[in-house]
Amino acid sequence: MLRFLLRRLLMTVLVIAVTSVVAFSLVHLSGDPAAAMAGEGASPADVESVRKTYGFDRPLPEQYVTWVKRVFKGDFGRSHYLRASVAQVLADHAPITITLGALAIVFAVLLSIPLGVLAALYPNTLVDRLAVGLAVGGQAVPSFLFALLLIYIFGVMLRVLPISGSGSWTHFVLPAVALGYYATPAIMRLTRSGMLDALQSDHVRTARAYGLPAWRVIIKHALRHAMIPVVSLIAVQLGFMLGGSIVIETVFALKGVGYLAWQSIQRSDIEVIQAILLLIAAAYALLTLAADVLNGVIDPRIRVG
Amino acid sequence: MMTNKKIWAAMAFAASAVCIAPQAATAGKSNDTLTWATASEVDTIDLYYQNLREVVIMAHQMCDTLMHRDPRTGEYKPLLAESFKWADDKTLEFKLRHGVKFHNGKELNAEDVAYTFNHARQPDSGVVTRLLVDWIENVEAVSPDTVRFKAKAPTPAAIEYLSGITPVYPKGHYDNAPSVPGAAGKMRRDYGAVVPMCTGPYKVKEFKPGSSVTLVKNTDYFKGSPKGQPSIGTLVYRTIPDTETQVAELVTGGLDWIWGVPPENAKQLASMENVTVKAAPTTRISFLSLDAAGRSGDTPMKKQQVREAVAYAIDRKAISRDLVGEGSEPLVSMCYPAQFGCSTDVKDYPYNPQKAKDLLKQAGFPDGFEIPLYAYRDRPYTEAVANYLRAVGIKTDLRFLQWKALRGPLQEGKVAMAHLSWGSQGVLDASASVSNYFEGSVDDYARDEEVKKWLDAADSTIDPDKRKELYGKALKKIADKAYFVPLFSYGRTYAFNKELDIPVTPDELAHFYLAKWK
Repeated sequence: MLRFLLRRLLMTVLVIAVTSVVAFSLVHLSGDPAAAMAGEGASPADVESVRKTYGFDRPLPEQYVTWVKRVFKGDFGRSHYLRASVAQVLADHAPITITLGALAIVFAVLLSIPLGVLAALYPNTLVDRLAVGLAVGGQAVPSFLFALLLIYIFGVMLRVLPISGSGSWTHFVLPAVALGYYATPAIMRLTRSGMLDALQSDHVRTARAYGLPAWRVIIKHALRHAMIPVVSLIAVQLGFMLGGSIVIETVFALKGVGYLAWQSIQRSDIEVIQAILLLIAAAYALLTLAADVLNGVIDPRIRVG
Repeated sequence: MMTNKKIWAAMAFAASAVCIAPQAATAGKSNDTLTWATASEVDTIDLYYQNLREVVIMAHQMCDTLMHRDPRTGEYKPLLAESFKWADDKTLEFKLRHGVKFHNGKELNAEDVAYTFNHARQPDSGVVTRLLVDWIENVEAVSPDTVRFKAKAPTPAAIEYLSGITPVYPKGHYDNAPSVPGAAGKMRRDYGAVVPMCTGPYKVKEFKPGSSVTLVKNTDYFKGSPKGQPSIGTLVYRTIPDTETQVAELVTGGLDWIWGVPPENAKQLASMENVTVKAAPTTRISFLSLDAAGRSGDTPMKKQQVREAVAYAIDRKAISRDLVGEGSEPLVSMCYPAQFGCSTDVKDYPYNPQKAKDLLKQAGFPDGFEIPLYAYRDRPYTEAVANYLRAVGIKTDLRFLQWKALRGPLQEGKVAMAHLSWGSQGVLDASASVSNYFEGSVDDYARDEEVKKWLDAADSTIDPDKRKELYGKALKKIADKAYFVPLFSYGRTYAFNKELDIPVTPDELAHFYLAKWK
């Protein structure tokens, strides 16, 4: 088990290291960061002075090593555009993305699991078709369009919810619905198929035979069984949402991590891009590690092989 | 199982959620607050350290400059100055107005003006728009109300540079600028992090970098300012990245003013009863840079007939009218027509594809040719240009890059044909446009010595009539030789609360100090 753990851990570290090298090179290859920072009206001398001030004149490997050394000391550098430390910038943006992601996953679960159960209870009926249709809509409709529809209905026509910003919890309702809806189809379909299997299984039939109330059979015996793969899927979806959604955050003017990443790329704010990529890569790698370890605990064949 | 009690509790919770939801009406006449939004994230509101148009707008509300250009008439009027005179070609002397106070109560004097410009002119001050301060050799406070600018060379555009875009701060303003880590472990001063202290019609109440700026009316604003007295109590700026969201907020009263409304939304918005939609021109011009000098090698662009063919091939009027939309104007010369010295009395190339084909044949390209076309901004406009060129036989290989990637090859002289745009940094003087491209700089693809000589003289002659004549000569030759192909000026569409009375001006700014509720 220990060897397995160490091997996995080493893999995780390698993935993070490779990601950071690739990210660093890509950011520099996409154009001259000094030119981007100096702006359109800058003379060659201005660009040169920016290059010197920020150290872009030094060889790339040297810049990278300097950066890594600082990160190991816990210093992510400074956003040249936002005039604050990268740690501060991330601390400002992360809570919004975390709130949004958590609310969105709650919404997705509350919508897709009942739908999945209903669809499985009445397979191939109108109920099933409607449930599947509703969920598949989440996949078919582009998220920006769905977000704008929500704005139009609840913000412009009914005027019950705020459209943009993050001033209060009500500001998160529409974005959470828009983001969560996108995660619905996968969770719903997995719940449905899991439930279909579970409802056919022996223990459910036995529970029914005992004369237990129908809801108790469905929720306690069938659903609990069907939920095992769904829970891992939800974890993956949550990881995806914590990476930030550029589209949803942009449409609802939320200052989250996704929006920050996109803006930082536009203005070549390298230190911020680096830190975000590193954190997202680390989060993914660690989640994968956690899943691997869990699987290893559950199934010994994995940790031996 | 869910009991009735629980169901009622859940329903009550849902109902209260709907009731608590704030109504978006934080803007508007009822609470005397004008809320405006754009897509930009504003990191600093110091105009010396950020030249976003939004920050130029804020500077006009918060700050005053020595001179003021009336946005409605284009006339220069003394603002912090009472009067000015050119003592000689390189010496500009201002008499300051009395009784002007900064928002902290301190009275303005010549020391403040000298401090501000002596800080900004330093090569290491980090000021972003160098053009505005690079001409200054030194600034001296001769007496408490007299300040003297020494220029490095005669600079007739100085009055323009000192109008609206170079705010005056109190002496010692940047003393407490934070030190931040710079390159190679050295510390550097971050002057842009200091919140501006000005004398203007609005005061800063709150600034949240990247999200919002709140300004309140300066009730002590000096009488007799050519900007007038502010009327609206509070101005709030917000960043909303998405245009559709901005429009939705405007329609529901969450915003009072937005800009950059795309043509497809403008019509729809204009039909709303609570919204006014107006378009106005901006200083940004769109043009083709052609390598007449052969910097990038022996390309067809070296031939005048080919360049003329390019000019005849493109229907600028159609692009400007149908694609760019209201506020945009077709251009004939290589400058923005409202700029001082921008003569439009030059050779025009009206749309004539047949003539273009004939010229290509005369130049030895009866079947046209292939050439890379570089661009970085507004891809649909570039594609329209490419289609017009294809129609006469010039097959372009479109290379659409980000500015930071295009800048290198362009300035190193490797680009035979590029679709570019230039905003003149908002400066209304031809020295900021045509001189930028034809005075032998890295952007000069014509390298015409005669044109350069005229422009050098025009940029450094104080006599306005002489300047006009020199710019006129240069622009005429540029058009005759078809060095560059001017296409159109950009327009901007503004949409705002119908209860708002605000002039829409051709300087791509909003003058909220002139705004009133109806």
